[in-house]
Amino acid sequence: MRLESNRYTFMFAFAVCVTCSLALSIVSEGLKEKKALNVALDIKKNILKAVSLETPLSAKVQAKEVLDLYDAKIEEKVINAEGQVVEGKRPVDIQEAEALYPLYMYKEGGQIRAYCFPIVGKGLWSTIYGYFALEPDAMTVRGITFYKHGETPGLGAEIEKDWFQDNYKGKKIWDIQRNRLIPVKVVKGQVNNVVSKEEMPFYVDGISGATMTSKGVTAMVDKWINIYEPFFNKIREDR
Amino acid sequence: MTQKLLSKANRRIVKDGLWDNNPITFQILGICSALAVTVQLKTALVMCAALTFVLAMSNVIISLLRNMIPSKIRIIVQLSIISSLVILADQFLKAYMYDVSKQLSVFVGLIITNCIVMGRAEAYAMANPPWKSFLDGLGNGLGYSCVLIFVAIGRETLGSGTLLGFPVIPQFLYDHGYVNCGVMVLAPGAFFLLGIIIWIQRAISGYTEEQ
Repeated sequence: MRLESNRYTFMFAFAVCVTCSLALSIVSEGLKEKKALNVALDIKKNILKAVSLETPLSAKVQAKEVLDLYDAKIEEKVINAEGQVVEGKRPVDIQEAEALYPLYMYKEGGQIRAYCFPIVGKGLWSTIYGYFALEPDAMTVRGITFYKHGETPGLGAEIEKDWFQDNYKGKKIWDIQRNRLIPVKVVKGQVNNVVSKEEMPFYVDGISGATMTSKGVTAMVDKWINIYEPFFNKIREDR
Repeated sequence: MTQKLLSKANRRIVKDGLWDNNPITFQILGICSALAVTVQLKTALVMCAALTFVLAMSNVIISLLRNMIPSKIRIIVQLSIISSLVILADQFLKAYMYDVSKQLSVFVGLIITNCIVMGRAEAYAMANPPWKSFLDGLGNGLGYSCVLIFVAIGRETLGSGTLLGFPVIPQFLYDHGYVNCGVMVLAPGAFFLLGIIIWIQRAISGYTEEQ
């Protein structure tokens, strides 16, 4: 058969397609479990980071340790839009269309130390995924993490750095004096220079050069705190 | 085989890509990824390994098929082979180096559009036997890697004050008012460094623009 004949060309193209797709599907299937494991592990690691464990994770922590710690310390719950715990459901069971939300409780010796929930929102370039954790008083921020985003390295991507996330620790989402919800906002510049002393617990330092990412983070924190508010409101009232 | 595997002529092929015909400093190819992944040395190293793997392997495969590929569809055939290899590399990174693959995000996938890979396939592998093509891919991959590593070292130390994540700028400098150079973490910082490297390399190799 001539090399330049149409028949040969088609046959060659077909052979290339079949070989390539076959090779790729074999590899993809073969590595599927390992990849899924990595994603799940990364999420668990971030939940553990957000709830600020009493003995924090070391940088070189092993996969098995993370899983063991997670199983030992974190209790998975599902709540509905009214803030009631839905019994018998786990976060993995939630369907996309349902108005159900995962909630993770960090327990130490039977005592609840933190409530943690996922936050998702738009940054400048990308969707940002993270976790937000509150102290048992349902007013004080215990921690925040971002585990997936595509913001500019050095600017918006600073949200994944410790200095930015540590910013949130100890801040308030509830104004006791006026009895109202104030989800933590990211300011432009430093909190010390921008807001008055009594307002300080409700604001965190911004990232210079990343105003849009900061705004996105403010909006997503606001949105998800409001969604979980029915649940946390009950906790506040019970106390 | 009439000549030794690492004969002088064959070593010459590797050196060609590494120095005299360096894809970045001489041919100015593959600049986009050189800018994107060089904020940190670690991501740059992984990117270099991935690109060198893809380049060498695609050169070998295309060279093996070079007498069978119909010329009418040769570009798309090259592209299929290259993209399959890139996806392969990406899958392995996701499975075994998840953290790094998260940082590299789309850039591993973008190796497909890296002009060096297509350029070497079309210019070299289509006309030369497999072993030589492999060496050519290796040489060009290493040439790309060298430049990337230099740029990444410069950017990470100046921009973030670290190297492979470890602090290298002593604390007392910060105490005395030293500030990390912000422009280095942005794309323009890479342009400046790349320009300087190209200048130095061309000054040594005696390259002149054709009149």
